[in-house]
Amino acid sequence: MLKFIPLKAQAGISGFESPAAEYTQLNLTLDQILIDHPAATYLGFVEGESMIGVGIFPHDLLVVSRAETVKSGDIIVATLNGNFVCKIADIKGKKLISSAPGSHAYQLKEGDDFIVEGVVTRSIRLHRPLTRGLS
Amino acid sequence: MYALCDVNSMYASCEKVFDPAIRQRPVVVLTNNDGCICAACGIAKKMGVGKKFVPYFQVRDELEQAGAVIRSSNYELYADMSQRFMDTCTAFAPHSHIYSIDECFLYYGHHYQPAEGWLEHAKQIRRTVWKHVRLPIGVGIASTPTLAKAANHAAKRIPGFNGVAVISDDRVRKHVLSHMAVTDVWGVGRRTGKRLNELGIVSAWDLSRAPSGLIRKQFNILLENTLHELNGVVKLSWDEVRSPKKEIFSTRSFGQRVTDREQLRQAIITHVEIAARKLRKQQSLTKNILVFASNSPHDAVPYYRRSLVHSFPAYTADTTVLAHAASQLLAWIYRPGVRFYKCGVGLLNISAEANYQPDLFTGQPDNRALMQCLDNINGRYGRDTIHLAGRGIQQQFAMKRQFLSSQYTTRLSDLPVIQC
Repeated sequence: MLKFIPLKAQAGISGFESPAAEYTQLNLTLDQILIDHPAATYLGFVEGESMIGVGIFPHDLLVVSRAETVKSGDIIVATLNGNFVCKIADIKGKKLISSAPGSHAYQLKEGDDFIVEGVVTRSIRLHRPLTRGLS
Repeated sequence: MYALCDVNSMYASCEKVFDPAIRQRPVVVLTNNDGCICAACGIAKKMGVGKKFVPYFQVRDELEQAGAVIRSSNYELYADMSQRFMDTCTAFAPHSHIYSIDECFLYYGHHYQPAEGWLEHAKQIRRTVWKHVRLPIGVGIASTPTLAKAANHAAKRIPGFNGVAVISDDRVRKHVLSHMAVTDVWGVGRRTGKRLNELGIVSAWDLSRAPSGLIRKQFNILLENTLHELNGVVKLSWDEVRSPKKEIFSTRSFGQRVTDREQLRQAIITHVEIAARKLRKQQSLTKNILVFASNSPHDAVPYYRRSLVHSFPAYTADTTVLAHAASQLLAWIYRPGVRFYKCGVGLLNISAEANYQPDLFTGQPDNRALMQCLDNINGRYGRDTIHLAGRGIQQQFAMKRQFLSSQYTTRLSDLPVIQC
């Protein structure tokens, strides 16, 4: 994954090291920052506009963790009748709530094939499309 | 205590993780080049389809009638799922050993007792792997590695256990072992099993009750150790459980039949590279290399298969030394007009590098620094970044994988799509 190259801040005069030098190393990768349980974390691309209200747009990248316990109000990924869907969980009301203006909640019924697949812990906006690694 | 965790129908189960539409359907996975069936999910097995190693073309219609989902082997996906499964299991115990792509041993030491009890602990491992990785597993826990294997067998095969079994006392041990054929005991092969049957030893329980001296005399000390392990006496050391492989093979069938000598040579050298890398990874050397090639037994022409072994004067782990020998052998194996379907190499007679005694007169032909450099570069920049030229630049014998699923976790363009 992306490695930050540690750069030392330097003043123009040689001989004096910047006092900030020892604070400049951010030796973290995006994995370490965004992923809490690597073995239980998956990525997926967004299709559709029903979650725009919580800032999830088409073609965004979702970071989904299966290690989390679902709480009401969490944004979750679930399988509903053979598809992966992303909705807000209403555990008490057994509903899947969409967040786009004017959209309706989906009431889970008897006979629905439904399993929670994980909690969306992060979502990543790709302000410029990905170019590498898509071949 | 030891635990053995293993994934139920690993390949078929992996196919279901990222494809919810096929979770309730019979799924069958094919071997390299879509030749034979190599795995079937529980649903398929219940329907009586998907018998292992049956050629696909023989049962194509039958599978179609059953509505089975057919998949080519997606090794990229399985390797990543395997890693996730291992990471999740091994977090439960202080020591662990990855035994195969879908099996791992955990070792807790002699005195450890989980607060929740062993059975609940086993259930926790199983639940966690299902929740985190979405793979169904079986967990067997017992006081020796062989018994842990038996417990795992019980967890899946003996009614009443439902995926977890703990052999905690003699009553459970007797129950499990008497419901288990002796051939299902870890380390008992089919031939040994047959001879045991002739002596009236049919179940695992019979073996555990047999006189140990007789077993050693009639068979060998390994089987005697197995007998003791079945009685709760640890005979396999942790190092033996995870002992390095004694033989390393790399074989594969071609996407299309190969008739060209140079192409066959390139394929063989590719296998040499794969096997040699594995050999160095486990820090071993080999004395013998086996090279073979054959046409398909399903072709309409007479079956042709030839295999030859070369013995090195000194133990080696150098790809160039191995490749040279393999090339020489090929001259005797290749035959014009044969449409080769499969080839491979095997490294036999492997010994640990640490135990190797050099020979004063033959010397060591290996260029170890070069091999180290090769492994480092390929380890860092990806397999095949540099390779022997003899292997060819453009390989024309790539695998046929007609029913391949996406590489959901290892390829950016293959990430699953989530509907919003």
